[in-house]
Amino acid sequence: MEIIEKIKTNKSIDNLTEIQKICLDKLQSSPLPNPRSEQWRLSNKSKFTNFLNYSVNEKDPKFDTPFPQTSQSTIRLIIGDNCQINLIEENYSIKQLSEDKLVKYIKEQISCFDQNENWSDLLNLSLNCTKNTLGLKINGSEIPPIEIFSHASSNSLNAKTLIIFLEKNCDIDLLQVNLGKENSSLSQSTFFCLEENSSLNHGVVSYGENKSNLLNSLNVIQQNNSEYNLGSLHFKFNYARFEIRIKQSEGNAKTNIKGMQITKKDEQISTFTKIEFNGPNGFLDQINKSLADDKSHAIFEGSIIVPKIAQKTDASQLSRNLLLSNLAQIDTKPQLEIIADDVKCKHGATISQLNEEELFYMRTRGITLTEASKLQLSSYFQEIISFIPVPKDRWDLLDKLLNEN
Amino acid sequence: MVNENLVKAVVKEPYKYGFVTDIETEKIAKGLNEDIIRLISQKKEEPKFLLDFRLKAFKKWQKMKEPDWAGLGYKKIDYQDIIYYSAPKQKEKISSLDEVDPKLLETFDKLGIPLTEQKKLTNVAVDAVFDSVSIATTFREELAEHGVIFCSISEAVKNHADLIEKYLGTVVPASDNYFAALNSAVFSDGSFVYIPKGVTCPMDLSSYFRINSGDSGQFERTLIIAEESSSVSYLEGCTAPMFDTNTLHAAVVELIALDDASIKYSTVQNWYAGDEEGIGGIFNFVTKRGKCLGKRSKISWSQVETGSAITWKYPSCLLLGEESVGEFYSVALTNNLQQADTGTKMIHIGPKTKSTIVSKGISAGNSINSYRGLVKMGTKATGSRNYSQCDSMLIGDQASANTFPYIKSQQPNSEIEHEASTCRISEDQLFYLQSRGIEFEEAVSMMVSGFCRDVFNQLPMEFAAEADKLLALKLEGSVG
Repeated sequence: MEIIEKIKTNKSIDNLTEIQKICLDKLQSSPLPNPRSEQWRLSNKSKFTNFLNYSVNEKDPKFDTPFPQTSQSTIRLIIGDNCQINLIEENYSIKQLSEDKLVKYIKEQISCFDQNENWSDLLNLSLNCTKNTLGLKINGSEIPPIEIFSHASSNSLNAKTLIIFLEKNCDIDLLQVNLGKENSSLSQSTFFCLEENSSLNHGVVSYGENKSNLLNSLNVIQQNNSEYNLGSLHFKFNYARFEIRIKQSEGNAKTNIKGMQITKKDEQISTFTKIEFNGPNGFLDQINKSLADDKSHAIFEGSIIVPKIAQKTDASQLSRNLLLSNLAQIDTKPQLEIIADDVKCKHGATISQLNEEELFYMRTRGITLTEASKLQLSSYFQEIISFIPVPKDRWDLLDKLLNEN
Repeated sequence: MVNENLVKAVVKEPYKYGFVTDIETEKIAKGLNEDIIRLISQKKEEPKFLLDFRLKAFKKWQKMKEPDWAGLGYKKIDYQDIIYYSAPKQKEKISSLDEVDPKLLETFDKLGIPLTEQKKLTNVAVDAVFDSVSIATTFREELAEHGVIFCSISEAVKNHADLIEKYLGTVVPASDNYFAALNSAVFSDGSFVYIPKGVTCPMDLSSYFRINSGDSGQFERTLIIAEESSSVSYLEGCTAPMFDTNTLHAAVVELIALDDASIKYSTVQNWYAGDEEGIGGIFNFVTKRGKCLGKRSKISWSQVETGSAITWKYPSCLLLGEESVGEFYSVALTNNLQQADTGTKMIHIGPKTKSTIVSKGISAGNSINSYRGLVKMGTKATGSRNYSQCDSMLIGDQASANTFPYIKSQQPNSEIEHEASTCRISEDQLFYLQSRGIEFEEAVSMMVSGFCRDVFNQLPMEFAAEADKLLALKLEGSVG
């Protein structure tokens, strides 16, 4: 693990930024996460080692997207691709964050980091140079949808960071696409700050290729009356970890999360979520779906934390899982930690295979088993995919998934 | 809003089992080492295999670390400051209950436990354990007529050594966890039950555990074996006096059910929980596990946990036999500064196995009440099913309720369902009941009782009534 050796010695990396220095200092004492901790216990060790085995690539890999070309009505940005943006229109503005503000914000975030829980962010920020960081300040309304791409090149580890401030009363659709190339590792850390009355419809589509790895960390802070909707989809990664941390800093905010992970062959994809309510009247509706086939392993761990101050919180979390093979496995652990008494909190979890009665019903009506299974899967996927803010005419995710499963 | 003054005015019933029996006891020196273990074994005149079992467990325990994953906050236990053997002094051999020290009988009378033969009407056989030893077992002759063996484990070691050697430590091995290893090294007494093939135990069996000394720990071990097509219902109750110090209770319970056998194990745990400031109380670290070895066997755990300063307890079922069934019904109530981390493990190994989990947690005062459970479907558990339901009720805004279910499946042809919810005592319902002339405390008590109904329905008659009263008593003065 070349990277860990570099972190330990802290020598081979030249021209370190202030943020990199802070993170490296934090990591030096314990450069790897504790494998016995709840967050990392189920992580496949050899796959994780494989993630770290590539050397860091700060150069721009050639962007060869398998996804549709951009259209005039959307704004497309590629992190690391010298992307500069400064759009000031009548109703809205999208500006680059000044470096001072960016550094100040990240430093604030790091000060609250837990070494183990935020290890992915610490690694990302310690490896990332300024060029691979995109910081935006968005303001206004009637903003065209934004697509932001992060990608890794073969045989290397790329670290990308995205920081977005959504100013007051701002309303936006944002699609984030993480692409993994063959034999590559991508570390993506995203920080969102949603100011009062702002609303973000966020889509995360992470799509890998043979033997690609991903560490995807998402940190959201929601202020009063903000609304955050997340639709996410992770598939085709040898090893992927999606960490979601959302803090409703003053309560009175709405969060909807619909996520899905699909694992095949011997892949391992895990989703970890931590939702904290730091004020009253918070709302959360979360559903996470997994589908595990072949010899793969899907993991979901979600925690909801409701302290005393968060009275009248209404939170629900559901983990639905499909296990399609004798050799695949699914681990799920939805958690509730509650101190406030005037709350409505619930969670549920199910693990099963495709519903045999429904399959039988369709077959009695002349639909073949394959078609019937596809129909069932289609309804299983549809709930999540319809929540991802993407233009349907250009992105047909459902067809892509059905063809692959 | 609920009237706080009214709440404060509610009379707080003291812990009524908190008295100490003044009786001469035989205690060994404090501390834990090989010599102490040899001494315990020698006092109990044990065969060599048991001494070896103890010493092996002790060696393992020395290498183990006290678990901290439950995140329970309690002061460090000094294992060298505990007396590992304490027994009331009495004649060497007791041939009938008339020879038991009257003070002991009086103690159990006060606790409402029928030890005297006159109380046959209750039709429950009792094994009474006082500190480290079993002092009496009732109805032995009647049970013997059916071939049922019900005695203290010390007696079983002497009279049925073959069964002990065959089964002891097969469900909870000495190296299972820190507290099980400690228990295996120093266990002093407990109950032994053997139900022969085809026998339905003619009466409920019961053991009653009483800690009397403030400085001795209680480390009992229970072993229940149900042979083919047999069935038994076993009840367990616990109390302790009020001391300012914390007393350690580390028990191990092993159940074995063979083909078509059924074991129902019910517990009402009411150890002293400490005072309102959290001073004193029992540290209750218990390992309970049942093995459904046979086809169509069934093990059912039902528990009402209201006592102890710290509870760390996860009664589990290993479902090995085809079509075997595991059940867990639990009510855990915490008040003041109590901490309870309890739940179950359902390990589905055999095909077509089924398990049901119903857990109700009620947290009041400044307490912490956590459900921690594991449901695992192994690769061979085809056609298996699990259903879990965990509900928490919060009373007051200082209490905490947590749910940590771990669910793991490696078998596509199995189904797991889990649901959990958290709520509080509804003010609308309270208002409704009060407007119909029902007193405030009674209304709360009725609602709590309704919340726990699913579990109480599973308790044997004797316990269900007691549990209802116990909850009402424990909650008095805590609603605000």
